[in-house]
Amino acid sequence: MTSGSPLARRLALWIPALASVLLATALVALATGAARLDLGSLLGGGLDAGARAILFDLRLPRVLAAAALGGLLSVAGVGFQAILRNPLADPYVLGVAGGASLGGVAALVAGAPAVLVPLAAFAGALAALAAIERLAAVGGRLSIYSLLLTGAIFNAFSGALIYFLQSVASREQLQSIVFYLMGRVPAARGTTLALLGGSGLVVTLAYFASGRAFNALSLGEEGAAQLGVDVERLKRRTFLLGSLATALAVSAAGMIGFVGLVVPHLLRLALGPDHRILVPTAFLGGGAFLVAADLGARTLVAPGELPVGVVTAILGGPFFLLLLRRKRGSEHDR
Amino acid sequence: MRVRARLVPFVALGLAAASLACTRPPEATRGGAAAPPRRLAVMAPAAAETLALLGESARIVAIGDFVEPPAGRSLPRLGAYDAPSAEALVALRVELLLTSASAAGSAERAALERLGIRVLAVDTATFAGTLDAIVEIGRAVGRLDAARELVASIERRIEQVRATAAALARRRVLVVVGRDPLFVAGPGSHLDELVTLAGGTNVAADALASYAMVSLEAMLERRPEVILDSADNRATGPFGAILGEWGRWPFLPAVAEHRVFHLEPSRLLIPGPRLGEMAERMGRLLHPEAFGAPRADDYAPAAPPAPGGGR
Repeated sequence: MTSGSPLARRLALWIPALASVLLATALVALATGAARLDLGSLLGGGLDAGARAILFDLRLPRVLAAAALGGLLSVAGVGFQAILRNPLADPYVLGVAGGASLGGVAALVAGAPAVLVPLAAFAGALAALAAIERLAAVGGRLSIYSLLLTGAIFNAFSGALIYFLQSVASREQLQSIVFYLMGRVPAARGTTLALLGGSGLVVTLAYFASGRAFNALSLGEEGAAQLGVDVERLKRRTFLLGSLATALAVSAAGMIGFVGLVVPHLLRLALGPDHRILVPTAFLGGGAFLVAADLGARTLVAPGELPVGVVTAILGGPFFLLLLRRKRGSEHDR
Repeated sequence: MRVRARLVPFVALGLAAASLACTRPPEATRGGAAAPPRRLAVMAPAAAETLALLGESARIVAIGDFVEPPAGRSLPRLGAYDAPSAEALVALRVELLLTSASAAGSAERAALERLGIRVLAVDTATFAGTLDAIVEIGRAVGRLDAARELVASIERRIEQVRATAAALARRRVLVVVGRDPLFVAGPGSHLDELVTLAGGTNVAADALASYAMVSLEAMLERRPEVILDSADNRATGPFGAILGEWGRWPFLPAVAEHRVFHLEPSRLLIPGPRLGEMAERMGRLLHPEAFGAPRADDYAPAAPPAPGGGR
């Protein structure tokens, strides 16, 4: 990195800033919930068994899972927006999420035990990934146009099969399916958390290393190639890593929408288009976003719970529009 | 000639409209048909149970997916939805369709009425509605007095439970109908009423719906003393006085005192003519010291009797 100094300064500013936001959000989320816990006594060491169980067995795994999922989905979103050069791209647009949902729903309708559902979803995602990559390759090259079309058709096809499965499901299964598709942050156990967090870090580091290449890609594929970027390798690697990340996220939590679309855009509007800044901040910011959304899901209608996808849409949509209008407005004034 | 040619389409349309206006509904729905229907289709399990108790199971010619066939008979299935296909009903010469009241099926029901098939949509969700449904079904099949007697005997059993429980200390009860996400019986459900009349307080009484998705930690915070878990929809169970997944929370009074019961869904979840039996069952689960210990068939139905017997 030849332009090290300004970049390093910006990273040194924004990464700790967003990490602090994530930490603060996580602490608030741990302290708040449908149950009123007397946390003052926690500091005095005298929390009763019930409060301890709620805090450590329910809230902590859920907050950690939300942070990992939010980070994973947001980073995947940055990658897809970079290679597709389309502002509407989100992790679900390329069809892998459709395959994951189909696998999960098929397992639910077949009456599989709950622990097999995420595995079936992941298998569905891998099958979709293989099929899409095979179908979208044009003469050995990964054509963006073909990727988008194949993905859209795959999502429509999976959607139709899911509707079919819903029509033959029993009433109780139907309820499980609907909530599975809406997406929920699970109170994940150790291995799932390690998997989600670990893959999030791997994808973040890999995309960070490709940061300059992503910046070059915004000039177009020919422009980037002229700057020395191996465009095919970049597209393929980004697509594979991003799809695997999406597959993991959807298998664990269903289709939580908006995170992978809105968080990269919010950060781009606030911090600029340099991917070397965007990638790590998206990981941290996405985590904070989903932790906050899940907190809302857990508390807004207490003792009831909302599906988290509802909250991400309500949070993300209007805020994003507001930010977009203010940015557009300031551009017009110049 | 040209002028008259142009008039032809209008005349044709006018004749078509007139003929539509003159269409008369089929005889059967024009009221006054005094004979009770002899061929019934039943979609709601509670309605089938009511007919069995009134001794009118023989009139059933087709059933929905969730209905148990009357002993030993094999009947055509009509599907899982509240409004089965009109073609199937007409082919079977069904005269009366018994189903649950739901807004979703009302369009199909109107179509069935126009074909001459009477539809009786009964409330199978609330406590009071269930008892009214028994009377309505009795009236529809011409056994009104028997139905009224049946309701009276159910009400006597319920009152007996209520009286016994009145003097007992209330226990906090959680009734689980679905896990992952957690669904519980809330206010307005028949389960909520059963809990209250049998000497309990529903910890989810402030939930947003009669079957509500709730946060687990909120339910844990309320420290239920009895947990009734009917979330396992598969017939295999295991059912009984076992802790299951609730053993994760030993600080709950229900877990510490071993008052966690896994129940097969038919024991409590489907209101119908067995409401009196359900009230007594709830009494045994909540207050065994006053109603007697829970019986084996409180957790799961007893094995069916050997074939050859039955109604």
